Amino acid sequence: MALLQAEDLTLAYDGPSIVDELSLEIPAGEVTIIVGANGCGKSTLLRGLARLLKPAGGKVLLDGEDIHTRGAREVAKMLGLLPQTPTAPDGITVRELIGRGRYPHQGWFKRWSAQDEDAVERAMTLTSTVELAERAVDELSGGQRQRVWIAMALAQETELLLLDEPTTYLDVAHQLEVLDVISELNRSRGTTVVIVLHDLNLAARYADHLVALKHGKIVAAGHPSTVVTEELVKSVFGMPCRVIPDPVAGTPLVLPIGRHRVLRAESVLAANGIHRTRQPDAAIGEDTTSLLTAEELTTREPQIDTITATDTATGATPQSVEPLPVAEDSSLRRAEEISAMLAFSTRVLATEDLSANFKRVTLSGADLSHFGAGAHPLDLRIKLMIPPASAASSTAEPESVLGSDFAALRPGALLNSEDAGGWYKRWLALPTESRGDMRTYTVRALRPAGHRDNLGEHPEIDIDFVLHLQKLDGQLTGGPATVWAATAEVGDAMLVLGPNKALCDETYGGIEFRPGTAKRILLAGDETAAPAICSILESLPAGITGHALIEVPDTGDILGSSTRSGVGVQWLPRGSHPHGEMLAAAVRSIVAIPAAGAVVTGADPEDVDVDEQILWETTTESTQPFYAWLAGEASMIKEMRRYLVRNAGIDRKQVAFMGYWRRGKSEL
Amino acid sequence: MTRAQRGGTKFTALKPAPVPALEPAGAQRSGRTIGVGRVNLLLGVGILLAIALNLLTGRHPIEFSDLLAALGGQRVPGVSFMLWEDRLPQAAVGILAGAAFGASGAIFQRLLRNPLASPDVIGVGYGASAAAVAGMLFFGAQGIGLSLLAFAGALVVALVIYVIADSGKHTGARLILAGIAVAALLQGIIQYLLTRTDVRNASDALRWLTGSLSASTWERAGLLGCALVILLPLLMPAASRLRILELGDDTAAGLGLRVRGTRLGLIILGVALTAVATAVTGPLAFVSFLAGPLALRLCQGRSHLGAAALTGALLVTAATYLAGNVLPETPLPVGVVTGALGAPFLIWVLVRTNKEGT
Repeated sequence: MALLQAEDLTLAYDGPSIVDELSLEIPAGEVTIIVGANGCGKSTLLRGLARLLKPAGGKVLLDGEDIHTRGAREVAKMLGLLPQTPTAPDGITVRELIGRGRYPHQGWFKRWSAQDEDAVERAMTLTSTVELAERAVDELSGGQRQRVWIAMALAQETELLLLDEPTTYLDVAHQLEVLDVISELNRSRGTTVVIVLHDLNLAARYADHLVALKHGKIVAAGHPSTVVTEELVKSVFGMPCRVIPDPVAGTPLVLPIGRHRVLRAESVLAANGIHRTRQPDAAIGEDTTSLLTAEELTTREPQIDTITATDTATGATPQSVEPLPVAEDSSLRRAEEISAMLAFSTRVLATEDLSANFKRVTLSGADLSHFGAGAHPLDLRIKLMIPPASAASSTAEPESVLGSDFAALRPGALLNSEDAGGWYKRWLALPTESRGDMRTYTVRALRPAGHRDNLGEHPEIDIDFVLHLQKLDGQLTGGPATVWAATAEVGDAMLVLGPNKALCDETYGGIEFRPGTAKRILLAGDETAAPAICSILESLPAGITGHALIEVPDTGDILGSSTRSGVGVQWLPRGSHPHGEMLAAAVRSIVAIPAAGAVVTGADPEDVDVDEQILWETTTESTQPFYAWLAGEASMIKEMRRYLVRNAGIDRKQVAFMGYWRRGKSEL
Repeated sequence: MTRAQRGGTKFTALKPAPVPALEPAGAQRSGRTIGVGRVNLLLGVGILLAIALNLLTGRHPIEFSDLLAALGGQRVPGVSFMLWEDRLPQAAVGILAGAAFGASGAIFQRLLRNPLASPDVIGVGYGASAAAVAGMLFFGAQGIGLSLLAFAGALVVALVIYVIADSGKHTGARLILAGIAVAALLQGIIQYLLTRTDVRNASDALRWLTGSLSASTWERAGLLGCALVILLPLLMPAASRLRILELGDDTAAGLGLRVRGTRLGLIILGVALTAVATAVTGPLAFVSFLAGPLALRLCQGRSHLGAAALTGALLVTAATYLAGNVLPETPLPVGVVTGALGAPFLIWVLVRTNKEGT
């Protein structure tokens, strides 16, 4: 049960109701932000939730009990409130003002105690107001003053904190300062926060749960990425706008369209009610100037939903598998019945440039109907058998290049049960020049045949490649996989080693994302982990909160990511910073080092020489409430592992560390 | 519960209690309290000095040796009677009434967050006066009866003003204006009552209205003392609630204070203090108005109801000395002196308020 919820709540100040039969659950441990136009009743709702206003109908439940049956002081010990314009008495010092937050914990005779002093000290530390302690509140800047008020509400030490427009009258830097403090508080103490905010973009950035209010009723509620759409903003604020992904935070960014000073095309579109909103996934690489009306979006046929025309797809359909002659040997059985790992013959069905450094290759083939491990690919790893550069034709049957060993691993092929394992050794035994290269990748998406977004008739998988390429003397140089991907064309063949759907489920070893019962997660990785993170995000259910941090080379590499969960996605464009620096900093700011003595920090994890061996430390199903998943360049992961385990004292059973690759080394 | 929450509780539980950084802060806190305490001590000394000055160098001065002898219980002809039956009860009433006025003024000023909002400016004092004058003239009321009448009159006026000013939401100009209008109305009523009555009665009432300690007796001092023994200890909880209330209604409610009830309680306490003092001494002009802001200055910006009460007492005792000695021919009623002191201060506050634009 939610700590705070409203049931059919109607609020009014002797007159027409301002909040009208509204029901709302405040998700525990999350930041809920209430937005809406002026006079929509958002502040009134907050006052109602805080017991300041007696409902005209319905009720507010605090911890399952009607808030008005509880005493004012009892409520004040559970729920703190910071109203819009609190007044500071003349000449009061910061410490004194913060101390007044202890009022509900003091009684007629109970005087100021060491406990109170500690609470004030903690509140000041969290809000960075320690150095302001002895200054008068009236001489502080707006942002400092607001931090002091927040500290006062913190000193109350409540599980719930309600803030009414905490950023009013502040300049933009101070607005961020205040919201960061609140965010920090939510993360470090798990305090459930409810904020009324009028800045939609900041709300989208800082909210785990966004509630849009109009005329005292909820219009939409959920994660900002699902709530903030052009239609919603138009309906709630009566303002046409464009919604684009915020290049800094990855959250939706609302660009208002007024009557003046707007490119003419935009105002014409806005006037005609045409929205630019695109369906997630479907058209990321699509020419962004092409416009879809809302009507078109809903009526388009699924097959023309995507980039590549269907005629090219049919041309790329691999030939059906020739059944091998049935041998008398009784030890021969069909490969999909005995081998958990199968070889899938596929062909490139489509390619798509997601950004300067990301390219999506869609592979398709009849074999893939046997591919899979449970419902969602998550960070499912597969092996791509990159054909050698010397191969006669890139469209030749891939299994023919590698010989019968791999042909026998295809679904439908007959396989000697003794040969089900050991393929890797046999592959290594092949001559280097003819076997090509093997690379590990994660599956970004798996669409079975008949899926709404399927391009062809067979199941297909999306693989996002990071193109770490340079052009030297007109020749593309880089890893074999990236070179293959960069030059991949529709119809090119690729042999994929992956799990057999019939024998593998969610526990398949190629999936490492195992949050168990964790409700709060951290996903962090560089661009090589981006496809896996995006895939995981898509599968996360609502109710999971936390952070996803993805470091990419450039702002242009920020990809669309959608999730139903409350996980906040942050893209970190690296620019000229060293690889991993920004990611490490972001991880540090999210998982702060507890104060000395607060937790027993872990011992230094044993050293892994990432040049010699793979840093691969994963977890089994955890029952912990927190789970972290870190992947990418090995030395970067090693550094973060050191930080999380040794400095932040996080139990290693809660974190999966995966060195996907090593700078300057290639996988074998 | 998320991990972060668990981390939070761990943090709380395991945080080492005495952090060195706390020490100076704690010292600072107690240093402040000592500061207010010292101011209160000085105020007390000031009150004693003013009384002593009045006894030794005022009109009909008493020789120091005679004073000591008389205080020591000896009968000093001409001195003992004057000391015990006139000067000391007068000083006692002055201290008690001054303290009541001072505390009442500070409560109203802080409750309504406006230095102009003292009971004598916003008409609460006039309510007490009007009721008391009516009681004196028509029923010959005295003692407790007069106190109760004054209290009833003041309370009615306070509530009327409060309702006019819309339940305290508009504590600024609107409340002050409402108070001034009510005060003018009540002054008219008082004038009317005075002109309708016998001249001798009217002159008694008139002197009472100016505010005077000259009719002080031990009986009156005792009456006032009894009332204050009940009322003054209530200043402690009142102060702790005022500290929360002055952060704004919503903030106070968020901190678990029952705003409406508390405000009503504070109004009743302030009215009671003004009423019991007014009943004994008459409205001592501007003592309520002056005491709060002066105490605030003395305590370097820290509001303290106790300091305001002591400042009120000092104001009245000092004014008593001035009233007796400023004109060589005739002693003045105390209220004239406090009024003369208060008027310029009122103008100064108005000018300053205008400048600040609040």
